Amino acid sequence: MGAKQKECPAGEAYIRFWGVRGSYAAPYVAQLGVGGNTSCVEVQADSHLLVCDAGTGLIQLGKAFESEGLPNKFLIILSHYHWDHICGLPFFDPAFRADCELLFFGPGGSRKAIEKRITQLMKAPYFPVEPAVWMAKVRFIEMPNNHFQFGPIGISYQNVHHPGITFGYRIHVHGKLIVYVPDNEFTFLSRSIEQRYSEFDAAEHALLEQMKSEARNRELGLLRGADILIHDAQYTPEDYESKRGWGHSCYVDTVNAAIDAEVKALFLFHHDPTYTDKVIESIHKHALQIIHERDSPLRCEIAREGEIVRLS
Amino acid sequence: MQQAATLSRVDPLACVVVIDESAVVKEMFQSTSAELGVDVKLFSSASPAMGFLNRFKPDLVVMDIMLPDTDGLTFLQELRKTSLHRDTPIVMITTKDYAQDRLIAQHLGVLEFVAKPISPRTARNLILKFGKSHGGEAKRMSRG
Repeated sequence: MGAKQKECPAGEAYIRFWGVRGSYAAPYVAQLGVGGNTSCVEVQADSHLLVCDAGTGLIQLGKAFESEGLPNKFLIILSHYHWDHICGLPFFDPAFRADCELLFFGPGGSRKAIEKRITQLMKAPYFPVEPAVWMAKVRFIEMPNNHFQFGPIGISYQNVHHPGITFGYRIHVHGKLIVYVPDNEFTFLSRSIEQRYSEFDAAEHALLEQMKSEARNRELGLLRGADILIHDAQYTPEDYESKRGWGHSCYVDTVNAAIDAEVKALFLFHHDPTYTDKVIESIHKHALQIIHERDSPLRCEIAREGEIVRLS
Repeated sequence: MQQAATLSRVDPLACVVVIDESAVVKEMFQSTSAELGVDVKLFSSASPAMGFLNRFKPDLVVMDIMLPDTDGLTFLQELRKTSLHRDTPIVMITTKDYAQDRLIAQHLGVLEFVAKPISPRTARNLILKFGKSHGGEAKRMSRG
């Protein structure tokens, strides 16, 4: 533990947002109400600290290790290796402490493949300090049978719709389910079908509907049962029109999916770095309106940097 | 007439492996294969497919990237490491129509990258184009 231990009594857990932006950091005055750091979410249960993604938010989490006395063993699960999800790693203070232990998991299929992807990030000429000189004990893990138990935290993953190989995670802790999907483009197949409908003859239209239904069930399957869903909601409908195929969701689709999957609480996440606090507040307002119009009990919040959500 | 001429290009011993979670896609390949006299083996996930492919070399593998137990690109990377499947013809059929996925697939020697949705005609055309028997391996698969 660091100097003064952050309270997380046995049997309790919390989530803390260290970075909520997508694509690139947004350290601009008009954006800082929501936060400018890229994806990093802490889940702490008892003395176990899970870190979801290693964007620039990870740097502040590393600082908190000393100032707040966080546990010295970190399991860092990466959704994928795009810059905004890994660029905090070279500046993560616990990596340079002999009393810390870092466990890593991400796409790649083997320990070696995960290690290669992470260490390449910090090789010359890209960075002067290679992981070989990290002082922390470092391990790369696999998830046989798609499950890993980290103290009271159970983790499994699923492929999601984003360029390259990208995972979403289902995280079970103390009887609650957190679903973390920072990058995922909803309704991609449905829109492809709409665009290409005329290519298919009348007899094939029924097959298209079946394919749409299958794809929707798959999308919702990842979210079902979630007490807390942290999900990509990067674009407004207007921006999504020109950014379809970039691998991110329009917040309207995210809200509707959360309602359809009967999620309890949704945190809109991976905010576009060009959106000011004002724009994100208007997104939130519209999200609440959709929920009201659909007469859903879904709770919907904006993921804000520094916010702590207790799992009770 | 034209259809009959095309049909004759398919070796009746050709064997195709389909790995896709979609029941609709699997059904398309099953019915098309039956119609063309092609041996087809269907899998919904990567793990049992890998078990099968460790023992048999089909004439064509048709697969999705979005699989329930792993991603198709990592699966294919593993498959390519085996001497048996260094050159096995592979076609990707997927909703993940992203440039990055296409590029990775290309590096892994995928012959064709097809964006979903597909129709039975697509399944038929792919089998006609790539599902040609390469000899004895087809017979081995039939016994599997």
